[in-house]
Amino acid sequence: MDGMHDLGGAEGFGPIDRSHEDEPFHEAWEGRMFAMAAAMARPADWTIDWFRYARECARPIDYMTLGYFDQWAKAYETLWVDCGLLTIGELEAGKSLRPAQPLAPPLRAEDIRGKAHHPPNPLRPDAAKPAFATGAAVRCKTSGHSGHTRLPSYARGKPGVIQAYYGPQLLPDAAAAGQERAEPLYSVLFKARHLWPEATASEDEVCLDLWESYLEPV
Amino acid sequence: MASFDGKRLSGIQRQLHSHLPSDPALRVKSLESLLVDKGYLDSGAVDAWVEIYSEQVGPKNGAAVVARAWCDPAFKARLLADGTAAVAEFDFVGRHNAKIVAVENKPEVHNLVVCTLCSCYPLALLGVPPTWYKANEYRARAVREPRAVLAEFCVVLPPGVKVRVWDSTSEARYFVLPQRPDGTEDLDEAALAALVTRNAMIGTALVQAPGEEKEA
Repeated sequence: MDGMHDLGGAEGFGPIDRSHEDEPFHEAWEGRMFAMAAAMARPADWTIDWFRYARECARPIDYMTLGYFDQWAKAYETLWVDCGLLTIGELEAGKSLRPAQPLAPPLRAEDIRGKAHHPPNPLRPDAAKPAFATGAAVRCKTSGHSGHTRLPSYARGKPGVIQAYYGPQLLPDAAAAGQERAEPLYSVLFKARHLWPEATASEDEVCLDLWESYLEPV
Repeated sequence: MASFDGKRLSGIQRQLHSHLPSDPALRVKSLESLLVDKGYLDSGAVDAWVEIYSEQVGPKNGAAVVARAWCDPAFKARLLADGTAAVAEFDFVGRHNAKIVAVENKPEVHNLVVCTLCSCYPLALLGVPPTWYKANEYRARAVREPRAVLAEFCVVLPPGVKVRVWDSTSEARYFVLPQRPDGTEDLDEAALAALVTRNAMIGTALVQAPGEEKEA
């Protein structure tokens, strides 16, 4: 998706604000939002990529200006209204106005305290075989598409080298569209001088994780 | 059923904007009450999660991994070969990351981690990311002008040291294995772990020996 979220390499941004950098949450509601996202019951068709897509579909001015957990709140409100879990009227009222949908029960405190919490696993070790070998020269495809994708615009059309094979992982483009499809995933190394016009003399590098359908052989 | 329709999501976002208060504290409180009322959420679980991420899960997890890698060459080899399995040896609580990749700083290469598309971060090792990591400025600039970003964090690399930036575009979660500072040969694993900062594991700081000037 060509959206405000695709920030890598965008120019005009100023100094990085490092105030309050050692507090996990600046205000109590931020911690509540973070925790709700982990603890609440979810519809069976929810995926992390669908959530990311919901954030990307925010009003552009909201994406650029609202606080991080405020954007999470907006994304979850949007997702739950979309699938009918909640209505805008219920969100306005802060209480249930119609019967709940049957979902698996939410996590309880004892499910969380003292043990690891495993979100859905995106790895699919046996789902596909890699087309590219480590060391192969590749180029990112130039065309994106209008849905969710994890190919940033700054890498489109750029040449790189396969530096590691990570095995098949669920393809975010498909997961955000409600489909489960795994593809070989690679760590691809790019020279900064191939990415940025001003970096002609740079030896620096940028590595991205890219799915096989984002790449073509050179 | 989710619609999986981006235009529909954008439309709902605009409706929410015109119907709900702009103050996120009010909206989040209302959202929590509603989810509990519906039976979709247990407030006790929210309390437990906030407590764990405020007190138990944080950069000290990652620091313990780094210190062990410095002290135990066999562990370091396992960590670099399969970060997920090596970190699993620690039995941390909190959210599990499906794939963890440790990237090692060396005299000739300095690593820096970013997520330009959202905010992907090794939560299990470093806890909740700092606000600057999720900010537009860091996400836009880290891939394009990493040395200017590092200078803002008072990290100036000697000439000849290459910067390698890791843009976290998949479910792999990157963290930096910093270089062990000189003058720490006598320190044990716990004392070494105390030197390792969160920023050093993102790549925006170097680890300082005790008595050296602290990072800015």
